[in-house]
Amino acid sequence: METDFIIISEYCEKSHTDPVFLQSLEESGLIEIHRINGKQYLSASQLGELEKYSHLYYDLSINIEGIDAIRHILQRIEDLQHELRQLKRRTLRFETGESFFTED
Amino acid sequence: MAYIDYYGILGVNKTASQDDIKKAFKKLARKYHPDLNPNDPSAKQKFQEINEANEVLGDPEKRKKYDAYGENWKHADEFEAQQRHQQQGRQSGGYWSSENGGFSGHFSGNEGEFSDFFESLFGSRRGNHRSTTGFKGQDYNAELHLSFRSAATTHKQVLEVNGKKIRITVPAGVNDGQTIKLNGQGGPGINGGPAGDLYITFVIADDPEYKRDGDNLYQTVPVDLYTAILGGEKIINTLNGKVKLKINPETQNGTKVRLKGKGFPVYKKEGQFGDLIITYEIQIPMNLTEKQKDLFRELQKS
Repeated sequence: METDFIIISEYCEKSHTDPVFLQSLEESGLIEIHRINGKQYLSASQLGELEKYSHLYYDLSINIEGIDAIRHILQRIEDLQHELRQLKRRTLRFETGESFFTED
Repeated sequence: MAYIDYYGILGVNKTASQDDIKKAFKKLARKYHPDLNPNDPSAKQKFQEINEANEVLGDPEKRKKYDAYGENWKHADEFEAQQRHQQQGRQSGGYWSSENGGFSGHFSGNEGEFSDFFESLFGSRRGNHRSTTGFKGQDYNAELHLSFRSAATTHKQVLEVNGKKIRITVPAGVNDGQTIKLNGQGGPGINGGPAGDLYITFVIADDPEYKRDGDNLYQTVPVDLYTAILGGEKIINTLNGKVKLKINPETQNGTKVRLKGKGFPVYKKEGQFGDLIITYEIQIPMNLTEKQKDLFRELQKS
């Protein structure tokens, strides 16, 4: 699969982001920085997450450790939302008179 | 269009300092920011209100104007003209100009857009409180409502997102609540950045005949008492045609039968289907004649 890369120095300049912030995110395992021929790159697929982290860091004054904790909690919320949707579907079947039974 | 109490939204009083306003905004933003409340439209709405309140109260010029008009904001233009006249008469200097703009804006679900009330006072402008500048374009979220039957077939759909028509192929077997991502179909990038993505969440309507759980379908089939006791046949509808079922003699109420491969298509696995699970619901005859009741009494004694 083809991956689009963005040069980090250009990204930081255009988005007014401190390169140290990106380094800190990398050190905490929140983003992955690729190094090719002495230059640092970021895959385009990470941009969405990176900008979310930027909002948390710059706009809400949440530090890197807090962002990492939030990331885990958000993942947990998404898993629970998925589970809740599945349970709602099963409950609907139960409410309409169907009984659960073990798959054979 | 109603007056908006920005002080109430941020939970501060009218004498609050800029520092108090900043603190109140950050505290509420940490609670309602969309990035911290995934899939929660009410939090997004609340965040927009907080954001707008901060845009006004966090900017001394805007706050001054908001405080001056208060609930008389509808007469802002004439009030300003009157103020100018009075100030000119007194030869005192300094007034802020009217920034009235259109009435085009409203809370539309996009971060950064403001209410009609805001725009009538300050003009149609996006917020500038953010210290970060975006690069990637805004991600768009859309819901696509499908009927139960159309979700069972691969078909094409044309979506209109922010005035742009997008053609997509919906594979058979999509699930209710499932989200797909279309790269680069969101808002345009900023400063040469890539466009945002479009996330489409499928909302699939219930079907009166079937209940779905993943790829399996569940259907309740009524069977008359005599067929249930003596056995027989029953023709049922499946998603891909009619099927004749053999009912065994002495079939009990609630008996389940699994029809392999007669369920919902498996997502992105052409030719594969879940199962259809049939539950027999024995129908007790009603409005029996005396003679019929006598026959049942005979059976009871035997």
